[in-house]
Amino acid sequence: MTQQNMPYFEDVELGDEIGPLQKVAADDQVVGFCQLWGNPMPNRFTDAAIAAKANLPGPILPGVMSMALMSQLLTQWGGPGALKDLDLVFRQPVPHDQPLNIAATVTDTRQENGENLVECDILMTGAAGERYVGGTALLSLPSKSQ
Amino acid sequence: MVMELEYDRSLYGKEHEAGPFEVTKEMIQAFSQSIGETGAVFNDESAAQTAGYRGVVAPPTLCTLYVRRVELPDINLNFGKTRFHAGQRVQSKAPIVAGDFLTASSHLKEVYPKTGRSGTMVFIVWETTFRNQDGVVVADVQESYAARE
Amino acid sequence: MYLDLHSHSVSSDDSRATVEQYVKWIQVLRKRGNVVDGIVLTEHRKFDFDRDYSQLAAEYGVLILKGSELDTLYGHFLVYGVNQGLTNDLDFSNVRLDSRELMKAARQHGALAIPAHPGRFGIGLVDYMEQGESFEDVHIVERLNGGSRAGENERAEELCSQKGYLGTGGSDAHLASHICACVTDFQATIQNEQDLVQALLSGEFKPVRLEETQNGSV
Repeated sequence: MTQQNMPYFEDVELGDEIGPLQKVAADDQVVGFCQLWGNPMPNRFTDAAIAAKANLPGPILPGVMSMALMSQLLTQWGGPGALKDLDLVFRQPVPHDQPLNIAATVTDTRQENGENLVECDILMTGAAGERYVGGTALLSLPSKSQ
Repeated sequence: MVMELEYDRSLYGKEHEAGPFEVTKEMIQAFSQSIGETGAVFNDESAAQTAGYRGVVAPPTLCTLYVRRVELPDINLNFGKTRFHAGQRVQSKAPIVAGDFLTASSHLKEVYPKTGRSGTMVFIVWETTFRNQDGVVVADVQESYAARE
Repeated sequence: MYLDLHSHSVSSDDSRATVEQYVKWIQVLRKRGNVVDGIVLTEHRKFDFDRDYSQLAAEYGVLILKGSELDTLYGHFLVYGVNQGLTNDLDFSNVRLDSRELMKAARQHGALAIPAHPGRFGIGLVDYMEQGESFEDVHIVERLNGGSRAGENERAEELCSQKGYLGTGGSDAHLASHICACVTDFQATIQNEQDLVQALLSGEFKPVRLEETQNGSV
């Protein structure tokens, strides 16, 4: 399935930038996420006092939620079925209600087992350049010749 | 002064199963809403069907919500007072759509020490494979937790 | 020549970059006008004797050397010129290596161990010196580290000024697009790990940021 504005493999080059996608995770979104996740509340993701006990500056985003936010950049760019592999390291706690900048850089393109693969570095950073979450992503894109 | 790690090494090679979990349209929509995902196939059934899917499509990391439903045993690590989520990997193998039933199978992958800004840490890595009602592997999820002093 | 003295490939637990991706990314940097000659893979807590990158190095025109980054009681140390004798004497996987013993053992075996990111909060040499520790064998430290948070490289720079230490530069890359963010500018021509140790001992080098290598003018 190819949608309008989705890239073809042939259009992608090493060094291409994807995004940025700007996000803010509001308190109620984190609560909604924890409800779905089945994590009993209050917890360090939703409550300032519990977060403080864990030496955190405030309630933080669950790692699985940061990952979900970051995957959006890639599904928006490559299409809903493009993302094959997302591999992240949570480097610093991610705060609520703060601007989050999500951006990726193409670091490799290759054809393998009939798939047109694009590999990217992906980062979630804060307003002052804090590297909250970093990692790599692998996407499969359609080819113009297919 | 080599650091000797003690934990239950007999857990290697053991699978811990859970499920099946039904993936409902409402759950996918709530997940999409909680992360601000507005993509049509992740929210709207007719849009998903027009795009060739059986139902509303789960965003690629939705399966991570089910990992915590597997009852994992204590590895009895002789280190650390607190634990934090250090990393996660999701490998998507096939689409997950509303109406699917997923089963999860988790095993201990590795345990190792390292040092960093937080002092000495021990990393515990679990790997979970998700299959749908047809036995098709839909995703592999790897989660790393760091225990620290 | 410009070498990145601190990088991690997928051989390290927390890196997501293959060596091939690093050398491909260096071609992107070169297209952008940066001058980069090589990298040193300093994998965490190990030395990869059995990995041979010579084919990749030749194909992409990038010098690829191997070293290690070891965890010690006083922070991380970068080790260059690692050989079998040194790995026989020390357990590289030990996260509580004695830093002073490491520095001495390295020199005895013709290698060199220097403190990595000494300004890093919580694990840098500066923290331990502030607690009263002293390190007579330290003469060179990593002054520019591409993975540093705000203020950490400045602490390393201040340490170099106060103690008269020489400083190197390395990206500490764990992702392909971060390679060579900081490099070391050497006077000497370096072709292998022993050349690198000699060049460091000569003192004729300085740390630079990638942007300073634009068109080779520093």
